Amino acid sequence: MSYSKEDLKALFEGKLPWEQVKQIMSRPKDDDRFDKYIAILQERVPWNEQILLPLGEHLYVVQKGSERIVKCDCGQEFGDWRQNWKLGAAIFVRDDSQKLEEIYPGYLCPDPNLCEVREYYCPRCGVLLQVESVPVGYPVIFDILPDIDSFYRDWLGRPLPEEKEFKDLTYEVTRKWRESL
Amino acid sequence: MEKIKKGIGEGGKTLKQIKEENERLFRETGCYAGITQPYLLRADPIKAELFHSRIMAALISGRETCKMISASPYVREVAELCIGLYTADGDNIIQSTGIQIHIRLMGEHIKWMIENDYEEKVGIEDGDLFITNDPTIANMHPTDVYDILPIFWEGELVGWVCTVIMEMDVGAVSPSCMPSANVERATDGLRFCCEKVGSRDQLRRDFEFHLEHNLDFPDMFLLDRKGAIAANIRVREEVKKLIDEFGIDYYRRATRELIEEERRNQIARIRQRMVPGRYRNVNPVEIYMAEQPVSWLLGKKDVIRLIPIQMNVLPSGHIVLDFEGTGEWGWHSCNVPPKALWGALSITLVQTLSYDGRANLGSLLPFEIKAPPHSLLNPDQVRYLAFSNSWVSVLDTFGIWMGMLGLAYYLRGFREEAFTLRSGSGWQYYGFDQLGRKRAMLIGGPGAMAAGATPVCDGLSGWLATPEVDIGNQEIWELFAPYLCMSRRFHLYCVGYGKYRSGFNITTMDMIHGTQGLFATGAIGCGSDGIIPNVGMLGGYPSGRRITMLLRYRNLPELIANRQPLVHELGDPVEFKRKFPGEVVQFNHMPPPIEVREGDVLAVASSPGGGFGDPLERDPALVKNDLDNGLATESIARNIYGVVAQFNKETESWTVDYDATQKLREDKRRQRLARGQPVSQWWKKTRERLLSKDLDGKLIEMYQSSMKLSQNFAQEFKEFWQLPEDFSF
Repeated sequence: MSYSKEDLKALFEGKLPWEQVKQIMSRPKDDDRFDKYIAILQERVPWNEQILLPLGEHLYVVQKGSERIVKCDCGQEFGDWRQNWKLGAAIFVRDDSQKLEEIYPGYLCPDPNLCEVREYYCPRCGVLLQVESVPVGYPVIFDILPDIDSFYRDWLGRPLPEEKEFKDLTYEVTRKWRESL
Repeated sequence: MEKIKKGIGEGGKTLKQIKEENERLFRETGCYAGITQPYLLRADPIKAELFHSRIMAALISGRETCKMISASPYVREVAELCIGLYTADGDNIIQSTGIQIHIRLMGEHIKWMIENDYEEKVGIEDGDLFITNDPTIANMHPTDVYDILPIFWEGELVGWVCTVIMEMDVGAVSPSCMPSANVERATDGLRFCCEKVGSRDQLRRDFEFHLEHNLDFPDMFLLDRKGAIAANIRVREEVKKLIDEFGIDYYRRATRELIEEERRNQIARIRQRMVPGRYRNVNPVEIYMAEQPVSWLLGKKDVIRLIPIQMNVLPSGHIVLDFEGTGEWGWHSCNVPPKALWGALSITLVQTLSYDGRANLGSLLPFEIKAPPHSLLNPDQVRYLAFSNSWVSVLDTFGIWMGMLGLAYYLRGFREEAFTLRSGSGWQYYGFDQLGRKRAMLIGGPGAMAAGATPVCDGLSGWLATPEVDIGNQEIWELFAPYLCMSRRFHLYCVGYGKYRSGFNITTMDMIHGTQGLFATGAIGCGSDGIIPNVGMLGGYPSGRRITMLLRYRNLPELIANRQPLVHELGDPVEFKRKFPGEVVQFNHMPPPIEVREGDVLAVASSPGGGFGDPLERDPALVKNDLDNGLATESIARNIYGVVAQFNKETESWTVDYDATQKLREDKRRQRLARGQPVSQWWKKTRERLLSKDLDGKLIEMYQSSMKLSQNFAQEFKEFWQLPEDFSF
C-alpha cells in the first residue's frame, strides 16, 4: 500500500473529497507515509535545517548543528525539544467572562472562576499554535515529548547521530525564571 | 476410594487449570497462550478468513435476532447491544458489531466464575443460563446486563457466548437507570453476580417472578433476556456447526491464534502509525452532589477531581496509560468500578486503531493501565458504592485520550486518523407515563454529539462512538415517555473552531405532554460544566459549555390556539434567554430532581469535539460554504475566522471579499502579538496567585486531593511553579 506524494499533499492540504479521505481512513496504512510526509513538510518551510518530526501545523523538531530544537516555519526558535515549547510562546489567557465570551458567548461560556482558556501564539508571526482549556492554576501542559532517538533507531531503523537523553527539561526553564525573580 | 472428578474443559482439565496454564504461558513467553509461532491461520489464509467470517456472521445474526425479540427501544432502535465469543477461560475471540465496550469486561465475569469454582460449587452444564451486571467484578455500570451461555462440544466446554444489553430499568432509585442521586450499592438496583437463572436453555420461573416483583417495568427486562438468550443460542448452534465442519482441533487452535495474531497486529499498527514518547493532557471532572436528595449525608458535596492523563508509547510498541495525580474517590456514583477503564479503552481503540473487524482481547494486550489506588479511577469501598455514573468520569477522559492518540498519528503523517470527542448529556425522566404507570424513562438519542475536526477535514456532524446516533426513528420514544419530540437540529453555535471545525451536534427539544406527574434529572455520561474539556488540537478551540435547559412558556395555550410559532432551536447564545417567551433555566449536567409540567420543554445540547488548527487559516471557501448552508453567521465568519463576506440577496448566497479578509486576518495576527505576553510574565503572576491561594475553593480542594494521593503530582506542580518545598494548598 502506497500513495503518491501528490495525493498525500492534497490530503494534507484538505483538497481531497470526503469519499477519498474516507477510503484512506479505512484501507490498510501505507508504510512509506512518514518519509513522504517529511519530504512534503521540508518543501514547505523556508529554511534548510532537516525536519526530524512535526509538532504541529507550524512547529517542527529540527536538527540544528548538533542540537535538536523546536522551530516555527516563520523561523522563530523555541529551544531544545525536551523543554515545553509553550514556555517560549506568547500567551493570551481568557480568564474572565468578557474574554471568554468572545469565543464562547452567552450560555456557552465556561465559569471563569474555575476555567481559563490559554492561547499560545508564535511571538514572531502571531499564528495560534495551541489552545489549552484547564482549571485555573494547572501547569502548562507539555502535550508531546517524542522519544526521537528510539523512533529513528528502533522503528525507522536509521539511528540519528549523537543520541540525546530522553528526559523532560522543562523545569530547568522555570528554575531560571525563579532565579531571576 | 473417592472417584477423582474430571474437569469440564479440554481433555478433562478444569477451567481453572486451563486459565492458569494460559496465564502462565503468557507471563513466560509474552505471547497469548504461549503461541510463540502462530502457524494454523497462516498455513491456509483462505480457510482462516472463512473461519473468522463465519463466526462474525453468527454473532451479527445473533445480534439481529435479539433486536427482533426485544421490546426495548434501546435494543430495537438504538441497538445498544453487542455479542462476543469467548474461549473456555473467558478470553474474547471475536466481537459482533455494536457497542464494543465490553470485549474484556464480559470475559472478566467468566474468569470470575472460574476463579470462584463455579465448575464445582455451582455447576456449569450445557444449556445453563447465567446473568450478571455486578460492577464490583467488571462493568461500566449496572444497567449494562450480560447474559452468558456456555458452549459444549461432546461433553467438554469449548467456549462461551455473551450478550450485553443496556437496560432502561434495573430497579434502581429513580430515575432507575443511571441515577445521579445515589451513593450506596442498593440504590443501583438489581445486581446479578454471575447467577445461574436457567437451564436447558430456559429461564427459571422463579427468576421471572424475581424480576416481576422488583422492577417497575419487568416486561421490557424479560424480553431483553429472551432476546439475548435467543441470540446466544443461535451463536452456540452456529459454533457447533463450525466445529463439525472445521474440526475441534482446528477450532481450539484457531480461536487462540486469532487472539495472538491480533496482539501482534496491534503492536505492528502502533509501530507503523505512531511515534514513541510521552503524551500528556488532563480531564477535570465536576461532580455535583450537594443538592442531590441522598440520605448518605457524606455524599452531599460538590467536588472537582483532576484526571491527569499520561500516555507512554514505548519503543517496544506497548502503551502505558498512567493516571497518576487523579484525585480521590468519593461518595457518589461517578467512581470507576474495577476493570471499567478497559471498557472505555476498547470503545476508543475500535475507532481509529482496531477498526478492521478483528478487535478482540488481543487488541488490548499491548496496553497497561495504571489507575492510582484510592482515586476516582480506583476507589476504595467498592462493595458499598453505587456505580451508575462511571461514564461521568471516563467519557471525556477517553475523548481527550482519543486526541492524544490522534497527535501520535499526526506526528507520523497519518493525519486522517486524528480527532477528539466530548461526552454527551441528556435528561432522564421518571414518574407517571401517559397511561398513568410509574415508569423509568431513559431516553436515548440526545447523545448525538459530533466528532472533532481532523487535520484534513471538518469533523462529522451528529456522530457518536456508539450506535446511538443512527437511531432513525426518534419519535419511537413518544410511545415510552409522555412527551412530544419538538425538534432535533444541528446546534449552530456550539462548535470547536479551527482551520477545520468540529462537526455539529444535534440539539434535542422535547415537550412534556400527557403525564400525570413527571420528574427529570440529568447526568448521562457527562462530566463537565464550568470547565470545558481540553479537546482543541494544535490551535483549534474546544467547543463551549454543554447545555441542559428547562424552557417554560408563559402562555403556551394561547400560542397554540393562535397558531403562533413555538421555539424549536436554542438559537443565539446571547439573545436566546432574553427572547424566549417565558422562563429559561440552565442546569449543570447533574441537576437534582425537578418537577416538570405539561408544556415544559427540556432541551439538551451535547458539545462536539474540538477544532483543529488556527481558525484564521480556515479556507474562506469553507467559511462561505458554512454561511451558505446556514452553519455559520456573519459574526462567526468575521470574529472567529477573520473572513469578510456579504450576503447577496439576488443569488441568496454569500460572497467573500478576499482582499478585506486578508487585511482583517493580518490585523488579527497583529492584535495577537500586541495582547500576547511572554509566558514567563504570566507565570510570575500566576505563581504569586498560587502562593496567596487566591483560587476558587473547589479548585483548592481539587489540587489538595491530587497532591494527597500523589507525591509525584505534588512535586511536578511545585517544580513547574517553583513553589517552596513545603508548599501545600
